[in-house]
Amino acid sequence: MAHSDERPSSPPLIELTGLTRRYGALVAVDNVNMQVAGGETRAIIGPNGAGKTTLFHLITGMVRPTAGRVRFAGEDITGQAAYSICQRGLSRTFQLTSLFPEMTARENVRLAAQARNRRRWLPFGGASVFKEAQGAGDAALELLGLTAVAERAAGLLSHGDQRLLEVAMAMAQQPMVLLLDEPTQGLSVEETAQAVETLARFLERSRVTALLVEHDMEVVFRLAHKITVLHRGAVIADGAPTAVKADARVQDAYLGGIG
Amino acid sequence: MRWSSLLGLAVVAVLIAAPLGLPAFAMTLLTELVILGLFAMSLDLMVGYTRLVSFGHVAAYGLGAYACGYLLLNTSLPLPFAVLLAAVMTGTVAIGVGWVCTLATGVSFSMLTLAFAQLLYAIAFKWTSVTGGSDGLAGIPRRAGPMGLTVLTTKTGFYYFALAALVGSYLLCRQLVASPFGAVLRGIRENETKTLTLGYNTRLYKIAVVAISYALGGLAGALYAPFAGFANTELLFWLLSGQVLIMVIVGGSGTLIGPILGAAFFLLLEHQLSSYTEAWALFFGLVFIGFILFAPQGIWGLLTAWFKRDWMRLEKGRRHGT
Repeated sequence: MAHSDERPSSPPLIELTGLTRRYGALVAVDNVNMQVAGGETRAIIGPNGAGKTTLFHLITGMVRPTAGRVRFAGEDITGQAAYSICQRGLSRTFQLTSLFPEMTARENVRLAAQARNRRRWLPFGGASVFKEAQGAGDAALELLGLTAVAERAAGLLSHGDQRLLEVAMAMAQQPMVLLLDEPTQGLSVEETAQAVETLARFLERSRVTALLVEHDMEVVFRLAHKITVLHRGAVIADGAPTAVKADARVQDAYLGGIG
Repeated sequence: MRWSSLLGLAVVAVLIAAPLGLPAFAMTLLTELVILGLFAMSLDLMVGYTRLVSFGHVAAYGLGAYACGYLLLNTSLPLPFAVLLAAVMTGTVAIGVGWVCTLATGVSFSMLTLAFAQLLYAIAFKWTSVTGGSDGLAGIPRRAGPMGLTVLTTKTGFYYFALAALVGSYLLCRQLVASPFGAVLRGIRENETKTLTLGYNTRLYKIAVVAISYALGGLAGALYAPFAGFANTELLFWLLSGQVLIMVIVGGSGTLIGPILGAAFFLLLEHQLSSYTEAWALFFGLVFIGFILFAPQGIWGLLTAWFKRDWMRLEKGRRHGT
């Protein structure tokens, strides 16, 4: 550690090498190489079916790769169970909102934060475990402006609030890496703008590393330091937003008329 | 004090006082009811709190009954120790059962629990030297407790022993479901994938709850053997697995109290109907269908809704009065 300052640049926090996932003849993720530095916000974009969500599944241990490695903070985590990868500090949200519908919003974030407690399995008492977890959970709710609906059952919240609650659950875990799968999907224009500002503030303040799958290009250009473009499972461009925007192949494959 | 705690204390008081006023045959029925209530409550941990639907919970009951019967017949262990040891043994075996069954989810999980129960059923038939084969274990004694404590061997004494086991188990379960561990179980019930990706090793939690549930089911079985004086293959028959599942659902799953009421309801209805008709099970089936269609929250769900309304009216009246 003493010599780390002398290195020209810090090693990547997440490193994917030759990551591949086949489903029969379909290659969902095709030989992806990617490096994400600590503190960076990386957007992953691409048309529907480009393999963005599968890539998230591969990184978080939900799906085993056919080939290739996933390295996190220098350690090989390929093929590890989803729960143990999360315990290393990678928290994610899902493209289709995934919550505990019968629990209140507060209970949702509390259960998320409880996973970070060493005594999370305690089979009796546990008042202090709950108190700590609720503290972290309530802070996340407040950050995303959900305090007013905190006591409502998650399944009865509006779609927009449900999306935000899932982000709050990930934040309540105080992760090293936040993986957000289309956090603004289905949100209204105003809700999106508000959520993006909240996310931008949070990412800046917490210096958390973030991976972001997103279709809304305004959101991508507002939040991302770097963009990786996937097309049919393969990386076709990778770099700073302005460079990616100007890339001819990207224009062809995805951005089309927008550029 | 909350109305439910008041009610609970009142019920326990009535149950404690019961031997003073009830005739002997009613005490037998009440003891059986307490044991069956414990059995149903143990299943509720899996079905109601974790959404792990077991079709083979009879495995726990039979295992506990056979283990306790064997210990009482072949060792000099006093009754309470034999019962507790049988429960612990059942829970230990259940770690293996849980490990295998949780390889699957949903209906496959249920089928695997059923397969295990059937396996034990077959073993009970074939392993004659230990289980007594088709005759089962007969003449199981209620041996005097430690230091010559003979009170448990009497009918009333045994009733209190079973009641203590039920109340103790209930308090234990209530602790469990309100703990951080219980919060994770609820997470698994509502969304297992999400619970897993939040960093919980859900399979380990499921194996643990299977073991605890089986241990308490084994406790019920272990009480039944010295109560009835025998343990036979009927205690491992799949029909009982279905019946206990019905008790949980009719009583109200995910409430602990409900399944106890469900067991009482089942037993009393069986008792009443069977004196009129051979086909009592048919009528019970109709009652079950009625509950599923019109009151899926079960007996306890109906009662709580009713009491809450009454209590609120009472509170309101009191406030207006002052």
